[in-house]
Amino acid sequence: MAIDQQRVGDRTPVHDPAEIAKIVSGANLETEQMVLNVGPQHPATHGVFRLLATIDGEVLVDAQPIIGYMHRGYEKLVEARDYRQITNLVSRMDWLSGINNELPLHLCLEKLMEIEVPERAQYMRVVMLEMNRILNHLMFFASFGAELGAITPTFFAFREREDIQLALEMATGGRMHFGFFRPGGIREDVPRGFFAQALKGVRQVMARLDQYEDLLVGNEIFKQRTIDVGVLDKEIAYNYGVSGPIARGSGIDFDVRKDEPYLVYDRFDFEVQSAPNGDCFDRFWVLVREVVESAKIVEQAIEAMPSGPIMGKVPRVIQAPAGEVYVRTENPLGELGFYLISDGDRRPYRLKIRTPSYNNVSVLPHVLKGQMVADMIAILGSFFFVLGDIDR
Amino acid sequence: MPVIERGDVGHVRERLDSDFGTRLKDLRINHGHLDVIVQPHDLVELVTFLRDAPGLRFRFFTFLSGVDRSAFGPEDAEDKPHPLEVLIHLYSPDHVLHVTIHVPVDPADPVCPSINRVFAGALWHERETHEMFGIDFDGHPNLSNLYLPEDFEGRPLLKSFKLPSRMVKDWPGAKDPEEAAAGGR
Repeated sequence: MAIDQQRVGDRTPVHDPAEIAKIVSGANLETEQMVLNVGPQHPATHGVFRLLATIDGEVLVDAQPIIGYMHRGYEKLVEARDYRQITNLVSRMDWLSGINNELPLHLCLEKLMEIEVPERAQYMRVVMLEMNRILNHLMFFASFGAELGAITPTFFAFREREDIQLALEMATGGRMHFGFFRPGGIREDVPRGFFAQALKGVRQVMARLDQYEDLLVGNEIFKQRTIDVGVLDKEIAYNYGVSGPIARGSGIDFDVRKDEPYLVYDRFDFEVQSAPNGDCFDRFWVLVREVVESAKIVEQAIEAMPSGPIMGKVPRVIQAPAGEVYVRTENPLGELGFYLISDGDRRPYRLKIRTPSYNNVSVLPHVLKGQMVADMIAILGSFFFVLGDIDR
Repeated sequence: MPVIERGDVGHVRERLDSDFGTRLKDLRINHGHLDVIVQPHDLVELVTFLRDAPGLRFRFFTFLSGVDRSAFGPEDAEDKPHPLEVLIHLYSPDHVLHVTIHVPVDPADPVCPSINRVFAGALWHERETHEMFGIDFDGHPNLSNLYLPEDFEGRPLLKSFKLPSRMVKDWPGAKDPEEAAAGGR
């Protein structure tokens, strides 16, 4: 049977190519601005986050993040709860790094109440904080790859996470919300086998990370989509209070663990990773390299783990004397600070929670302006934010 | 210019004392951070100075919020603190220094100048403080709600705003250790 040429496809162009070229190159090509709504349910936003983007052709003219879909009012809730209850509340802010969120509250209390924390508890805290940081960074390693169309990193990252997750589960019983810190120390000593499991987890990550880094950072497509995309200037970062891996990707090398060491961070040998260009590529590179530094800290802390008590001398009722204190710590996503005002009660008079993602995301309109629509997802993904951390 | 040691907060106090003198109150060092009280009309000048002055360079914007101190301490206390204030924290990454700025505002008509021209990062923080405390920021381009729905009534972080569940049952119940003996369990 003869093929019906007419039906299979007429390959002669509908428009004359010369005609099209004339239109495209024509100076009178008019474009119109339109508003594109991204979210609140969008896979690239890691939660309920909305972006109101004004676009002109392929270019973002303006982008306004709209937040508040997850607002739980922690700053009000904590005023009606005592300090023991707040431990479990605040660990739900940034759900990827639960144990890191618990820390500043306890440091606040220990400062106001002048509690001395035993060495073993301090080392134990460091081990857990850094393991949680690795978990968090691996999660963003996975999600950033997935957002750029590479699904393999997700499987690798989750395989590596599992051993570390198991160690934390052995010690605390939780996988996300650990509730393990107490004013003056930690809840209980770790079970036998914890250190072996933790070391197994972090050594595995260290051994394989270079390979994983190559998988994305050494990939041509990845490079084309991230290099010189979404550049965040150093001064702008300061001006908005951007911190964490995002600030360090813009050539800022501050890290609370180095600048104002808390716990026993000054006893470990680790480097602050930073990169000069401020684009998506550098932010991601810093994030990946930080995993190695954290793993180094975990190894050193377990090596030097002292024996002894895990709780300091703490009164039966936790009641901070009247006073004010601001404590900041290096959360995986940036500077987490608690400003505690106590009037001597068992609950805080006021607790201002300064979360890293809030400041980091507030700079987005500035970064997104003038970028291409196709780069928007890469930029959003490279800002490593957790919605619960923004909305509190 | 004198060389400043890392974390030398006493130096900041001297600098502020000589440049702003009587316009600042309560220059005291609290847990290694400098605490300053400044009146609203001097605020913008102060933060600009802190940000730009060589040797200080408080260019990292940490946070801006509010505090309602109207319920602070016992009711019959002699020296009550100012009932409503704006709280600002700045950090100097170059010299590892912190400064906390308290700006007392009139609780009947709370207005404070916006610092968004000095620190653009304050835009969201001021919006949040506006909806939570009802403080107006003069010069802010858009003070619409950030978290709360548009038709929400009340200023949640003021002490006069009670949580509904706490109105029904006061806190703490009788579940605390020292009250357990009274049969609270």
